[in-house]
Amino acid sequence: MEPIASHENWRNCFSEVAPGLLLFARQWVQSAADAEDIVQDAFVKFWRRKHDIRNRGLLYSAVRSLALDFIRRDARRARREATVLAEAEPVIEPHFELEDDTQSALAAAVESLPRDQREVLVLKIWNDLTFSEIGGALGISQNTAASRYRYALTNLKKTFQPQ
Amino acid sequence: MNDFSELEKELRKLRPTEPSPVLFERVGEALKNCSADIKEHRPVIRRWGGLETAHPWWSLGFGLAAAAVLTLFAAITIERRHEPQQTVAQTSPLPETRPTPLRTERSTSPSRFVPAGGTNLVYNARDEGLHFADGSERPVRRVRYNTQQTWRWRNPETGASLRVSYPSEEVVLIPVSGQ
Repeated sequence: MEPIASHENWRNCFSEVAPGLLLFARQWVQSAADAEDIVQDAFVKFWRRKHDIRNRGLLYSAVRSLALDFIRRDARRARREATVLAEAEPVIEPHFELEDDTQSALAAAVESLPRDQREVLVLKIWNDLTFSEIGGALGISQNTAASRYRYALTNLKKTFQPQ
Repeated sequence: MNDFSELEKELRKLRPTEPSPVLFERVGEALKNCSADIKEHRPVIRRWGGLETAHPWWSLGFGLAAAAVLTLFAAITIERRHEPQQTVAQTSPLPETRPTPLRTERSTSPSRFVPAGGTNLVYNARDEGLHFADGSERPVRRVRYNTQQTWRWRNPETGASLRVSYPSEEVVLIPVSGQ
């Protein structure tokens, strides 16, 4: 794959990173549709600036920034939706394609992690970023990223017992 | 091999949900139109001391202007308070009578305030991560500072002091280069 983003290879690149990017965006927004909007905006911005596609930290950083902007902008709507959702039957859009109960339990354990640990875990496991790239994307040091990852795994190990 | 290899293996088996096929179409459409977007959205980026800032320092400007107005107002007020007292003393019909020394007369220029210092207290700095400012070639890190700026003036002869304090918020965009 060409290291510089060009219009010819965007589809290959996007199909590789889109599931992980969506999962990352959904650490902040519950709705899959909102997460897709954020991923679209971030990817298009990244692509049209012809960044080196090996510099993935920038792409994830863009997703994170847009997600945080979205939360701020949409706080009022979120409160209104929360009120409505509190009265209605909750509809949870899964973050993973679950195949059995073990995977369901593991996914639930992941979702119960603190956000700072979960975002590092998501970037490491499902996006294959290095700790250095994670640090760049989240604005933290490489060591902090590594320790958050270890905390996440330790917490998961406590809560998740494979059957 | 670490203690978590089994757990990591289990985690990697979880597959994130796939994006909807419509998303690919939307991204393709957006990329087609992106050159038109770039022309339409030309941002204004101002340079200040090597930093690119999206915030044109309005708050600082307004704060300084407010401080200047307050200082001027205070100076005029103090001067007016002193004027009648000096007049009474100078126009006394009895030149042999010494006017009662007024406390304010000790100063020959009671309204002269000299800057006595200033502080810029940053009570909150929030790193808002990397951003792609529209039209910018490079990503920038956005840092938001909330500060309380205080300026003090003092009249060395009367001991009077004047203090102006106001909050301000600055958003600083720091260029980041990839490695």
